[in-house]
Amino acid sequence: MNRKNAIITLVLTLAIAWGSLGAMLLAGWAPILGLDLQGGFSVVLVGPEGTDPDTLDAAVGIMRRRIEGVGSVQEPDIRVQGNRSIVVQLPGVEDRERALEAVGTTGEMSFRPVYEIAQQSPALTDPDADHPENLDPETGLSDPDDVDAEIAYLPGEAGLIVYVVGPAFLTGSDMKGGRAGTSGVAAEVVVVPEFTTEGGEKFRIATGELATYPVNSPQRQLAIVVDGVVTSAPAVAADVDPNEGLDPNQVVITIGASDNPQAEAEDLAAILNYGALPTTFERERVESVSATLGADSLRAGLIAGLLGLALVAVYMVVYYRVLGVIAVVGLTVFGSLLVGTIILLGQTITTTLTLAGVTGVVVSIGITLDSYIVYFERVKEEYHSGRPLRQAIDHSYPRAFNTILKGDAVTALAAVLLYVLAIGPVKGFALILGIATLIDVLVSYFYTRPTTWLVAHSALGEGGWFSIRGAMGKGDRQSKPVEPAEVTL
Amino acid sequence: MSVFTKMYRGETHFDIVGMAKRTLWVSLALVVLSLLLLLVRPLNLSIDFTGGVIVTVENQVDATVGDVRDALTAVGEGGARVQLTGEGFILIQTEALDSEAQDELVLVAADVAGASINEVTIDAVGPTFGEEVTRAAIEALVVFLLIVALFITWRFEWKMALAALAALFHDLIITAGLFSLLGFIVTPATVIALLTILGYSLYDTVVVFDKVNENVDLMHDRYTYTEIVNTSMNQVLMRSINTSLTSLIPVGSLLFVGSFALGAETLREFALALFIGIGLGTYSSIFVAAPLLAIWKEREPEWQTAAKRARRRRGDGGKDAPQDEVVEAAPVQAAPPAPLGPSGAVARPPRKRKKRR
Repeated sequence: MNRKNAIITLVLTLAIAWGSLGAMLLAGWAPILGLDLQGGFSVVLVGPEGTDPDTLDAAVGIMRRRIEGVGSVQEPDIRVQGNRSIVVQLPGVEDRERALEAVGTTGEMSFRPVYEIAQQSPALTDPDADHPENLDPETGLSDPDDVDAEIAYLPGEAGLIVYVVGPAFLTGSDMKGGRAGTSGVAAEVVVVPEFTTEGGEKFRIATGELATYPVNSPQRQLAIVVDGVVTSAPAVAADVDPNEGLDPNQVVITIGASDNPQAEAEDLAAILNYGALPTTFERERVESVSATLGADSLRAGLIAGLLGLALVAVYMVVYYRVLGVIAVVGLTVFGSLLVGTIILLGQTITTTLTLAGVTGVVVSIGITLDSYIVYFERVKEEYHSGRPLRQAIDHSYPRAFNTILKGDAVTALAAVLLYVLAIGPVKGFALILGIATLIDVLVSYFYTRPTTWLVAHSALGEGGWFSIRGAMGKGDRQSKPVEPAEVTL
Repeated sequence: MSVFTKMYRGETHFDIVGMAKRTLWVSLALVVLSLLLLLVRPLNLSIDFTGGVIVTVENQVDATVGDVRDALTAVGEGGARVQLTGEGFILIQTEALDSEAQDELVLVAADVAGASINEVTIDAVGPTFGEEVTRAAIEALVVFLLIVALFITWRFEWKMALAALAALFHDLIITAGLFSLLGFIVTPATVIALLTILGYSLYDTVVVFDKVNENVDLMHDRYTYTEIVNTSMNQVLMRSINTSLTSLIPVGSLLFVGSFALGAETLREFALALFIGIGLGTYSSIFVAAPLLAIWKEREPEWQTAAKRARRRRGDGGKDAPQDEVVEAAPVQAAPPAPLGPSGAVARPPRKRKKRR
């Protein structure tokens, strides 16, 4: 190590550590806070044993679409966890009931015959006429879960029209699935439904019945109902023989005029594939944190961290003098890199900083300071065994670094294991801890080593109480200087 | 020179292995006591492990426990635990409930506390999820211990691995015992704390063993294993103390600020477990892991020969070398190579010196 190398390494390290954090903060990036720190709502849903991974993925997609409909959710985080669970994290969500409804267990998909299409519920336009029971007094709509009702008033997708429908003749269990595709010369976007044998027969009979009605009558329409909403109502084509109905193996549903027919077809195919939600989920874990409690925890964590840092800084400087200052400045390098990494992870793979993560940060302060202590104690030891100061500093580093590497390796190993094996908050803690050990090794090599060398070769190396020599303690040393080779092995 | 000056300069000569022959009994007693305590008073596991529902809501109408209980009994949840906290919150805890029952509980709680539904905090864990959390925690622990043992065996030797594990169990069991004694609730955060403690304890032990190994290379033909361990311990003593202090200070402020000053209770158990554990971890790497290793290694034929040789050289009959001799012995590692005997363990090729300049 020479002066030029040391200065270049140090300047580069400081520029990278402080510069990158500064740039991120200037760009307005901040760590994404977890639910427990900003308040919000979290649900873990568990499907039945042996749920197919594709089914879970499909459910996640459907839930995400629904949550976006709820509004006021900033960053919904919905993901599959383990073999059969889905974790839904809704930070800052206001309307918890609707959120729960959106991700919770819901009614099935069904096919129901259309009797009539109206601008609003007939119960509102003509309150005195005969109406089905159990209507919602305000909207005049029927209970969406009762698929067997003889007559039901159900809303269309945008809520603009109301369908009067009959009892369901097909439900999700009669379907095998559906896929989006194109058909014919015009390359129209279509959805091809697939039925079970029984479902196909039901479908053939039902479409035969619908075909008895005149063309253009709403009664030729077939309402596809999901969660009590008519998502689509295709009409039976004019050339269908009422005696035979539609061949279930040759049905296509043509997507009519639409801004994005392909997306609509895929949505419909997903609905045919999975119905409302592909399987019933049980709420296994519900957790809500009020925004104030979250803010309190964050404040407590931050204050504790800062207070701890201040106390530790005082201790280090009193004990190790200028070396302590090196460690304290090193802490800011370490801290910048750690916070920078947390921000970066948040921005790229939306990792959130949880309370467990904050405690991980606090714990990592101890880990990184230990690296300085290991090194400085080593220097003291070699100095007292008779080595000249600068030589002791150069000479201690490889050995100390070796110890630091081993120690960090054990901690990193623990962190990786925790991350892989554990679930929930432990993961957040393990992630921070693992990153911290990695940064610690880097900081030790690229910051501590050149800085200590530079200080040792400056006026602060040898002179006075505050210098490195001052930190070595007074008193006799081994009188005879020792050749370097004898001490290290 | 005062003891502190000596410690500051890393020149103390405590006979740690000698002391440990007594303190090990204290440790053993504490471990047994903790185990008995755990049998009598099993750990108080949070709903994250057992399953259950906790509903918290701010008491806006000064409802009494009786009011809450009456309201709960009306919906068939009379068995719930009701608590009014000092901060003016109503806390209701029940067994695991299904989705509808949870919703009902939230409605009742909001009603009785005069709050809106969105002000009610619910924390619910299904029984299977609880089982899964517990299983994952135990799995993590077992795999962690296994891999750690393998790692130490690979980097050092298997006897060190066993000594390190003994220190680990010492820390874990006593911390668990304290939790049982104080009746604190074990949450997933506590489990994190325990695992961190394991990491710390291990890290400390690895640093100590690293030093022991280094000194074995330097001193093996003049000193007994116990003396080498003692020398190593004295050399790393200040590091151990400083590291514990600099780790305990942030955790201590987390404990103090988090739980007492700001009332963020979630932090309390966590910080306490960390605080106790880090202290224990430092203690155990000095007074459990290393002495156990020394006592064990002394039984190896190679080291018994070394012990005999050392005694003969000092003209000392059959007894262990008095501590003063160890005191003198410690700095010898820095002495010129000439008297180090024929093994040549310390001799180095001269080219290395050139490199160092």
